Amino acid sequence: MIRTRNLWITVLLLWSLAPLLWQLYTSFCSNESLIHTFATHQHRWTLENYRQVLTANPPFWRYLLNSAFVGISSTGLTLLLAIPAAYSLVKVPQNFARGARLFLLGAALFPYVLLFLALLEIARSLNLGNNLLALSFPYAALSMPLAVLLLSSAFRDLPSEIEEAARLEGLGLWQRLRWVLIPLIGPATASTAILVFLFSWNEYPIALTWISTTDLLTLPVAIARIAGSSVYSIPYGAYAAATVLGSLPLLLLVIIFQRQIVSGLTQGAIKG
Amino acid sequence: MSLILENIGRRVGRNWIVRHLQLEVAEGECLALLGPSGCGKSSTLRLIAGLDQADEGTIFIKGKDVTTVSPVDRRIGMVFQSYALFPHLTVAENLALGLRVRKFSATDQQKRVASILNLMQLEDHARQRPAQLSGGQRQRVALARALLRDPLVYLLDEPMSNLDAQLREDLRPELRRLILKDGQPVVYVTHDQHEAMAMAHRIGVMRDGQLEQVGSPQELYHQPTSTFVASFIGRPQINLLPAESGIIKAIRPEDLKLSSQGLPCRLIHREWLGTSQLWLLESPRGQLRMLTAGDTSIPANIQLEWSTKKEHLFDANSGLRSKYPTS
Repeated sequence: MIRTRNLWITVLLLWSLAPLLWQLYTSFCSNESLIHTFATHQHRWTLENYRQVLTANPPFWRYLLNSAFVGISSTGLTLLLAIPAAYSLVKVPQNFARGARLFLLGAALFPYVLLFLALLEIARSLNLGNNLLALSFPYAALSMPLAVLLLSSAFRDLPSEIEEAARLEGLGLWQRLRWVLIPLIGPATASTAILVFLFSWNEYPIALTWISTTDLLTLPVAIARIAGSSVYSIPYGAYAAATVLGSLPLLLLVIIFQRQIVSGLTQGAIKG
Repeated sequence: MSLILENIGRRVGRNWIVRHLQLEVAEGECLALLGPSGCGKSSTLRLIAGLDQADEGTIFIKGKDVTTVSPVDRRIGMVFQSYALFPHLTVAENLALGLRVRKFSATDQQKRVASILNLMQLEDHARQRPAQLSGGQRQRVALARALLRDPLVYLLDEPMSNLDAQLREDLRPELRRLILKDGQPVVYVTHDQHEAMAMAHRIGVMRDGQLEQVGSPQELYHQPTSTFVASFIGRPQINLLPAESGIIKAIRPEDLKLSSQGLPCRLIHREWLGTSQLWLLESPRGQLRMLTAGDTSIPANIQLEWSTKKEHLFDANSGLRSKYPTS
């Protein structure tokens, strides 16, 4: 039993990690060695790809910063709107809430790519193009349904007596949210934030159409530009280096928040 | 009377979960609401606290109509069944949170928290989180939080039900002293009649959202007004004899006596209770529970009798009392 389970885990890990490891390997290889995989080369290992990416104009960290800015502002905006919405979804009459949840689920499952032309029209008419902060509007809007669903189920799982105790203690609505409820749904908030950030970090079609100034590009678009920078060849090495650099911040985030997501903050809150 | 409920009712959908509730609790009096689960006793407590709104009737606290007043302004000290401590805060923070939002100065907060921790013997746990405390300690924190409210009314919702039986009995006198020490009315919800009798001056027995009877533990035991109260109060349970001409006779297990020429019975089960023993008997008039001295030996022919003075008589249709025992 355990051996088959380990086998499955290994297969799954290989399945999901192999492309990433290959990318990592590629990023440290010189271009010659990439083309002639099995030939021996004296200069197979190189940091040239990273140097190329980081010294380009603009340097690659510029895109990292752009993406981080968009990611943080969309995540912030989403949570700012989704937390009150999620809370009220628990408090409104249950029939209405059930309908609203169904509606939100539909919106969450909707393929957003179908919207990007319409969004582009809106961006044009409202003059929102080439503005990183404006990019977080559609991102937050598209992340809202899932965020509200996740957070409202977290609110619903909180024992109602805790909030009632806070009411009896004299805490108003905002005080209850600020001092009691939001801290208690911390783990759910963290995982929701990660999902929103991830979406914004990876989003391509909207970023491609809303942003055209090179200095303002987000990562996916910038990486795609590196891949298509030459008509005659594909710079695999530089492309791979850019991908690795683009994944590092996410990896870091997940590692940092892992404990928060897993931690059972509400353990022992209710019965002994 | 410092807490008065006048004809209180609460409806959920079309069902009245509490109705026609008439109750008065005096200063320094502990009234227990007792009843099976789902009888509306916790709902009543929530109505008094203002966590739910009454659909009819009026609630007075210290002579003031608080029916539509918010929970905070009713000044309620409530202990929840689950204790409802804030799990992300330490014990000291749990106690200080309410003081802070009620705009006590920082030094006042510290002083009051320190003195209540001292009173509750919780000083050593001030920096711990609720999850690190034992059940009894959590209950003390919950009680400390209620005391810090300077409440006009104490409401306790099954405050013992999460503790083990031994601890429950040990804590009763202490809990009773603490909730009665500042002379406010106390409403104590429980489903455990022993606890109700130990804690309360008066007991209100509830059934299907209505108060069946209110009285001292002695009154409820000796003069139950209905078969429901008669069989709910007193363990082992009262014997309800099959109805004869519209009358149900009820007789307490301890009032049954062995005799040489009474109701013939057959012993089917015997429970040893220490100083006494419980016999479960099969008789022509149904099963009977009999409580007898611990050293009574089982006679070859069991025959039972009882004094008619000890009989409780109830109307078979309404279940209501028709005649009190004469003694």
